[in-house]
Amino acid sequence: MAVINLKNRQIECKLVFYGPGRSGKTTNLEYIHKAFKKQVIGKMISIDTEGDRTLFFDFLPIGLGKIKGCDVKVQLYTVPGQVKYKATRQLVLKGVDGIVFVADSLAVRREKNMTSLKDLHENLLKMGLSIRKIPLVLQYNKRDLAAKGLPIMPVKKMEHELNRQLQVPSFSASALSGEGVGNTLTAALKLTLQSLQNEFKWAQ
Amino acid sequence: MNLGDKIKNYFKEAELYSEHGLLAEALERYRSVEGLVRSTRGIRNRDGILKKIAKKIETTSQKLQKLDGVQATQKVPEDAQSLMKEMYTFDDPEAKGSSTLGGAVALAKFGQYDEAIEELNRLLEYDKLRLEAAKNILWCWVQQSYSEYAVSLYQKWLKNKLFPPDELESIKSYFNELMDEAGVDHEIDEVESQQTIEPDSEVDDDEILDISAVKFVLPRGPREGEKVELEISFQSGKYIQMMISRKEKELLDSINPGDLLKDIVFYSPVAIFYGEGFVSSKSAISAGPKKGDFSLEIKIIKIVS
Repeated sequence: MAVINLKNRQIECKLVFYGPGRSGKTTNLEYIHKAFKKQVIGKMISIDTEGDRTLFFDFLPIGLGKIKGCDVKVQLYTVPGQVKYKATRQLVLKGVDGIVFVADSLAVRREKNMTSLKDLHENLLKMGLSIRKIPLVLQYNKRDLAAKGLPIMPVKKMEHELNRQLQVPSFSASALSGEGVGNTLTAALKLTLQSLQNEFKWAQ
Repeated sequence: MNLGDKIKNYFKEAELYSEHGLLAEALERYRSVEGLVRSTRGIRNRDGILKKIAKKIETTSQKLQKLDGVQATQKVPEDAQSLMKEMYTFDDPEAKGSSTLGGAVALAKFGQYDEAIEELNRLLEYDKLRLEAAKNILWCWVQQSYSEYAVSLYQKWLKNKLFPPDELESIKSYFNELMDEAGVDHEIDEVESQQTIEPDSEVDDDEILDISAVKFVLPRGPREGEKVELEISFQSGKYIQMMISRKEKELLDSINPGDLLKDIVFYSPVAIFYGEGFVSSKSAISAGPKKGDFSLEIKIIKIVS
């Protein structure tokens, strides 16, 4: 849940990068950390993992400066993607204001994307939230792997399978090179701040 | 696509999946390649190729197995622990220490049991938080499969009348549910536990000689049953402290706060004596040249001879 201090004109909200294991959530955060240095307002915490897998979460605090007279700070988190860490994902989701769902474009990861999206839906329900109402953006990551000869799913197919019902903004990306990462983040932040505006009228 | 190209493509895919950490997918592709090569006669150096693929399959399987065995209960650095606590911190102006309770619960949920128990134990001092703190302490022990220890703890609270009857009833009902969920056969009121917790020391501070080292059997973990000898770095009466290097991970995992050490050999410059001790704390050193190493504290509770 965002912390909104209308007296001091400060907002602090939480954006969570969700998605199946190895889809590139941590890589997104690493790129943001590297490319948006001016916005980064604290240390990136990435807990050491076995074989590059996130076991708990990654964390990166960023500041967006003044928006409509409010000082806006955002806490970016990633969840562990592997199925067995469902309980940890529920913990990290607590108090979430917006979500970036990082889907893997590789054809072999098709089912993992769908399972993870279903898991997100269930975890949000447990917290009394709806996947249809929470600010959500989809990212189709690893588009660059097509050039290496790996079979990837066409964006149209991913849209059909993951976004047909949700109808949320979606972006192609290659988090390793940073392509699409900024657009995804910007869209997710816009939606989140709009949603907070509808709820708390902070921009008045 | 001819068969040769198909094999080459599958192999390349397997290598790329492996490179990107998609080990299950890599394994599947290596197996497909193996199947194709095996079913095709006339491939040059067929046996050599099969041998190479078998090696890839073996290595990838081993990596997968290793990853499957990783548990999200490992200790995390202090800054990560602070963040975990922050996520769950709530401040109830009516209840002093409420933010600490939220933080301790968060640590417990993230599997940082030792730190959580340490904080929750402190919260037993606060009237308004005692009940929740107690329930969470029991939860932590049961999660770590120390159900018997949890029973002894509950019995100690019962005996010491730490809680009023209504709170005790609430704890009992919660505890029973917890044990049922864990599938533990239990009688929390009637059975005296074998273990003792936080026992009072029978030893007077003045009676204890200066101790230079101790030897005891590790009570749990990967080195359970093994005897270790540790040098004493600090002593204050019946409390003795030892340093353990962070590199000694197995040793660190084999002893925890709350462990009761039955047969300790105490070495002092003038005598060797035997007794029992209780592990009162294990904490990471946060500053100085030993930063990152651990300090283990044992409370001597009995001298046998």
